[in-house]
Amino acid sequence: MSAVSVEFKGVSKRFGNRSVLAAVSGTLQRGRVLVVAGPNGAGKSTLLNILAGLLRPSRGEVVYRDGDAPLARTHWFEHLGMAAPDMAVYEELSALENLRFFARLRGLHLEDPTLQELLDGLGLPPREHTRTVGTYSSGMRQRVKLAQAILHEPPVLLLDEPSSNLDEAGHGVVADLVARFRELAAVAVATNDPREMTWADARIDLAL
Amino acid sequence: MTKTRLRAVLQWALGVWFVLVILAAFFYAPSASGFKGESARIVFFHVPQAWVAVLAFCVNLVASLRYLRTRNPIDDARAAAAARLGLVFSLLATVTGSLFANVMWNSFWNWDPREVSIVILLLIYAAYFALREAIPDEERRGSLSAAYAVLAFVTMPFLVFVVPRIYWSLHPDTIIGATGQLKLQMESRMLQVLLGSLVGFTGLFSWLYTLEVRLARARLARRGREEV
Amino acid sequence: MRASTLLSESLAVLGKELTAELRSRVALNAVGLFGLTTLIAVAYQIGPYRIQEQDRPHLLAALLWVILFFAATSGLSRVFVKEEDAHTAKTLRLAARPLAVFAGKFLFNLILLAALYAFIVPLYCALMGYAVQGVASLALLLACGAVALSATSTMVAAIISRASGSTTLFAILSVPLVLPLLVMLIQGTRAAAGSTTIAAVLPALQGVVSLGGATLVISVYLFPVVWHD
Repeated sequence: MSAVSVEFKGVSKRFGNRSVLAAVSGTLQRGRVLVVAGPNGAGKSTLLNILAGLLRPSRGEVVYRDGDAPLARTHWFEHLGMAAPDMAVYEELSALENLRFFARLRGLHLEDPTLQELLDGLGLPPREHTRTVGTYSSGMRQRVKLAQAILHEPPVLLLDEPSSNLDEAGHGVVADLVARFRELAAVAVATNDPREMTWADARIDLAL
Repeated sequence: MTKTRLRAVLQWALGVWFVLVILAAFFYAPSASGFKGESARIVFFHVPQAWVAVLAFCVNLVASLRYLRTRNPIDDARAAAAARLGLVFSLLATVTGSLFANVMWNSFWNWDPREVSIVILLLIYAAYFALREAIPDEERRGSLSAAYAVLAFVTMPFLVFVVPRIYWSLHPDTIIGATGQLKLQMESRMLQVLLGSLVGFTGLFSWLYTLEVRLARARLARRGREEV
Repeated sequence: MRASTLLSESLAVLGKELTAELRSRVALNAVGLFGLTTLIAVAYQIGPYRIQEQDRPHLLAALLWVILFFAATSGLSRVFVKEEDAHTAKTLRLAARPLAVFAGKFLFNLILLAALYAFIVPLYCALMGYAVQGVASLALLLACGAVALSATSTMVAAIISRASGSTTLFAILSVPLVLPLLVMLIQGTRAAAGSTTIAAVLPALQGVVSLGGATLVISVYLFPVVWHD
């Protein structure tokens, strides 16, 4: 896995006349977890969306670097894994079919056992792997979403409220996941959960 | 001469020019043979209106393409301004054409290919604004409506050239020639007035267009000041 | 490296669409039932004998396309609208290249249209007593028409899925773009019904193919913009 870093400078975002983010700066790099904290509506998700290249900032810039070479915006997504409350997986497909689909889109040839291992690791029992996601509980869906985000072992991992809908065990799974990816990838976590704040190597507090 | 002075002079010149064109259309140009009564005189207003509707469509395309490249909000404002004027002028061209059709063929509407073309142009403009109203985010509004404008432009050549060729048309041949059965020979004085009117309407379009763009620029500038 | 897998990625999107559609059958039901209902209404009210002999070529061709177009409108916008509604659009946006998404969705809509045409056109001919001389030319025209309509509606679906009030907008935005196509297709169908030679439908066919081709080419350039903003 190559070391991709993400630097953002003076990022602001307005929706019409409403200012959501005002001049936020920071860096994502391997070995450090950046926690983005703040109350609901402070712009945590907006910041993560901008970092993912899904939204353009009104002001400021985001730069992806692979080593020293800057990456074009159209290639960011190849280096990126993301899970967020508004990023669902397909309800008509099973967990396994979802992962097969996303693996194929990313040009990965992963065998079913590998994918099942991944789902197991995130705490989705094997008997659920082939049922359609539409029949899942919200916690089980969250695990599939997380699996989708880390499927390709991305060098940049953005997690927006990763423990939402998860029980105590689920929270532990996310904590393990963040600990593992801290060594592998540049990680950003947007959260309100005080327990998750403790993962921070760096922290951005957004205010309303 | 300052910019404001120049503008004032040009506006006055445009006003005088239009008075001359209107007078010439009724008193200088002879009446055309092969048409009922004086109905052919509407050509001096109808054709320039249709021309401006198409010109506005082209300006909209150029501004849209520029917006997709630069993402400068003023280009989006340009595209919207051109479309607004295009909507007005295609409405005018439709109404004047329809009046003429009623005099000539006793029916306001005949589903002639040219009529269909202008109606589709109207529909495209209407759809363009319906789309704009449905997108609250400004940047997304700009890029999606620009994309729609470009997509719509692709169908234009088919409306103007292909469909009238497949179908038989009542419309007198003017500038764009598909082979209709009524060959219109322009007498030279008529041609002078028509060209004069074309210049006048193009001037009117550029005046209104610049006004809209200046207004949009002022709005953007004010918002920029509020942001800082 | 990734260029070689564009086809595989497009097929992955198509496969996902087909699997999901076969399980939910929402688009299939909408398009099929809409088509069938209008066909039955038209056939019952007009039937083979209510139309004067001299009006048959015009009216039968036009009615056929009215049925086909409105049936398709009810289903084609779903390819993108459902991704936004189910919140899967963002996931897909981050996982796939825009071109693969467009190609997959375009192919899905094409298959949907082909299924609709294969289902409705023979039924229509039987119920309305529509004797088509040039069956091969009509098939060719239907195929080219499906490609052009699928290209336009896939693009419009992508545009409206990001605006509010999507479903009504789809009709408003697609009608002016599709009208020239429909005019040419109706004209071509009339020609195909009256003559066995391909030459009869050629003018319409050329128009349809070039408009469809132009739309496809421009879509390749425009789609990434629409998809990512």
